[in-house]
Amino acid sequence: MAKKSENTSSVGKQLVTSKEAIDDDAINHASSEAVSTEPGVEDITAFVETAQKLEQELTSIVVGQERVIRELLLALLAGGHVLLEGVPGLGKTLLVRTLADALSLKFARIQFTPDLMPADIVGTTIVTEQVDDTMPSGSKRVFSFQPGPIFANIVLADEVNRATPKTQSALLEGMQERTVSVGDTTRPLPRPFFVLATQNPLEMEGTYPLPEAQLDRFLLKILVNFPNAQDLMRIIDTTVGTQTLHASEVATGEQLAHMIEVARAVPVAMHIKEYAVRLLLATHPDNEDAPEKVRNFVRYGASPRGLQAMILAAKVRALLEGRFNVSQEDVQEVAFPALRHRIILNFDGLADGITPEDLIKAIVEEI
Amino acid sequence: MATIAPSRIAKVLAGASEPASSEQLIAALRPWRRKLTIQQVLGWGRTGLVTGLILASILLLVSRLVPWASALYWAIGAGSTCLLCALALALWLRPSLAGTARIVDRRLALHDRLSTAWEFQHQESTLAILQRRDALTQLGKQAPARSISLRPRRSFLIIAAIVIIAFVLLLTLPNPMTAILQQQAAFQARINKQIAAIERLRNAIDHQTTTSPEERKMIDQILKNLEAQLTNAKNEAQAQQALAQAQAKLSQLSNPQNGNKIQANAAASSALQSSSNAALQALGQALANGDSKALASALKNLASQISKLSPAQRAQLAQQLEQAAGQASQDPTLSSALHDLAKAVASGNASDINAATQEVANAASQTASATANQGSIDQATQGLQQAQNTLAQAGDGSNPGQAQQGQGQQGQGQQGQGQGQGQGQGQQGQGQGQGQGQQGQGQGGQGHGGSGGGNNNGNKPGNGEQVYVPGQVGSGSSSQTNGGNNGIVQPGQSIPYSQVIQEYNTMAHDAIDNSDIPLDLKDLVHGYFDTLEGQH
Repeated sequence: MAKKSENTSSVGKQLVTSKEAIDDDAINHASSEAVSTEPGVEDITAFVETAQKLEQELTSIVVGQERVIRELLLALLAGGHVLLEGVPGLGKTLLVRTLADALSLKFARIQFTPDLMPADIVGTTIVTEQVDDTMPSGSKRVFSFQPGPIFANIVLADEVNRATPKTQSALLEGMQERTVSVGDTTRPLPRPFFVLATQNPLEMEGTYPLPEAQLDRFLLKILVNFPNAQDLMRIIDTTVGTQTLHASEVATGEQLAHMIEVARAVPVAMHIKEYAVRLLLATHPDNEDAPEKVRNFVRYGASPRGLQAMILAAKVRALLEGRFNVSQEDVQEVAFPALRHRIILNFDGLADGITPEDLIKAIVEEI
Repeated sequence: MATIAPSRIAKVLAGASEPASSEQLIAALRPWRRKLTIQQVLGWGRTGLVTGLILASILLLVSRLVPWASALYWAIGAGSTCLLCALALALWLRPSLAGTARIVDRRLALHDRLSTAWEFQHQESTLAILQRRDALTQLGKQAPARSISLRPRRSFLIIAAIVIIAFVLLLTLPNPMTAILQQQAAFQARINKQIAAIERLRNAIDHQTTTSPEERKMIDQILKNLEAQLTNAKNEAQAQQALAQAQAKLSQLSNPQNGNKIQANAAASSALQSSSNAALQALGQALANGDSKALASALKNLASQISKLSPAQRAQLAQQLEQAAGQASQDPTLSSALHDLAKAVASGNASDINAATQEVANAASQTASATANQGSIDQATQGLQQAQNTLAQAGDGSNPGQAQQGQGQQGQGQQGQGQGQGQGQGQQGQGQGQGQGQQGQGQGGQGHGGSGGGNNNGNKPGNGEQVYVPGQVGSGSSSQTNGGNNGIVQPGQSIPYSQVIQEYNTMAHDAIDNSDIPLDLKDLVHGYFDTLEGQH
């Protein structure tokens, strides 16, 4: 037992070290080159107040999706992108738009279709008339860059799986690199930059499912469930009346970037890190601690990005829960959105209708 | 999915200026650690006690199935050891402050606040300080006395009660093995007593100067082996068997010629003592006493007297000596010496007389030596016989259920017949064993019943002399009836063969006369016994 713990501990240390090594590559962050500064009491106070207001704004407009809102906030304050999955009409677009309104950030929506081209997302170079007195005509024609909708702070990639892989990769490159290359010029994307992609789990005909490597770039995958009867009553009251609700501005992009910094400073105890590592390793079917279900139904387990996602989201959750430390419950809670799109089922798992949630539940119960 | 708890976090943030040092954390954790240690010691102590009682109960239970004199001490030792080990382990493995933080986190659902605070106790960043204060605030809301209960669980109490009741019952209810243990203790005491007696006997034989050193050494070795066997004997049967074996070995030591010599010496001395001649009477007396000096003196007187006697008187004297020589026929040496002396007396030749007297003196000396050796063996045999009888008597009625083979002693008499009878009484039965020996061999009869000793004896018919026929019967089977012990056939008193044959003759005549046997067969039986009487 002690040996096992030692091994786990050493594995945890190795993975923590590797996390630090690849941290900058794996997680997009607004201030990767900035000098790390310890947040003060005011910063923490501002974080708490802003997060509280933001959550209140979102819950007042998007009815019956408290869990989705909380998980969206986790990803937002952790500085990661989100993949929203749910049937149409559940308020995914409304949620993202409300978020953009509340943060007074530039919002862009891209409706992904099969004929959408990469240039439709990243922009293109066009010929434009430019005033030039030296020219006899008083103007000259020059190539200028026309930015695509990706040049926004919050980008809603609606039904991202309907576009071709080539178009998807254009978006996903921007998500990863936070830059866009058009022609021979690389242009940085505005900061903060969040991509919230949605996909419809029902209509799979004519879709191009995102490859695993690209799914891994989303910090969390949030499932948008159908609201219950009580929430539906509230939706009626708030949406079909004469009153139209608009989110008020809660924070700026700069404040949001600072909040991300604050969340990253939350301390994590060693045994919590070890626990997160054990959870992650248990998603791998060849690991000795993996539950029977994982051994039987999983082809590939989660990558180290999953571990980073868990810890980052757990830090935010701790602050949102009114704590200054990450607890085991935080890790357990965020394990579902952080790992569900990183666990690849094998044929048996797909054939038996096993969901990643079943597997994560089994892992959390056993580890 | 609750929203942020602003009041809680605001309270912590409001007190940001208040110090929250690692010393405060340690001070806050100490009472919890103390309480957890007490709880651990009590809990483990209780578990150790119950485990010890279970172990002790098992040992006591075992002591009711097999005789185990020291079971109670083992039970007490095992129980105490379990309790002490549990207490020692509880103290040794008492939680550290870090462990305390983790345990309190888990028990009070503090969401790893304390363990995180403990890990980051030396960090002075704002978040670390806030986290520490938050942990201390949450911990301050609870008190160790209220949060950590020292009372055992009900299920544990029930188990403990059952175990205690079982232990008390096992401790107080009479143990059926106690009687067996007492018997074993009594047996051991008897064995020790017999070993002491054998030791005394061995010392006595060691100090006998008349016995030859080789003889003493062999007897000593036999007795030593017997002592070792008795020490290792686990029951009465083994002890009796060891004694019987030692007796058999002693019997093997004794030279069969020794008995003949002694008897021949006795017969010759008796014949000489009955003479009217004073010198022969003195000679007979000296032979009977084994007194070499008196013998030499008597022979000298006889030699000096002969020259003064007339031929007729010498012839009469020679005839008396010849008669004594005939009586000593069992000892050819003595008989020959007496015969030579008779011839020398008859001839009146002084040199022949001197040579013959010397020859008689030598023969008497050999007889004296044989008598001394036989005396030591007899003394040892009697001592062992006494020990055997003592053990058998002490075991009467108190040693049920042990079968024992009957044993007789080897008959070594010439043309002798031995018969042994053994009788034993046990608690619930009687046993008899019979053995017969003929020409040095015997058979042990069956013994039934108790462990009482039996006697085996035999007489040689003939000249009325008593002939000891040890008769190593030995091979008789025995069986048990109603838990009694089998009889042990043991050597007994010597009875003259003529008496035995007379008794058998009478019994046979009576039995034949009182039965419906045809007359011709009756005559045949009568004739047989008459023939036997006529032979001797």
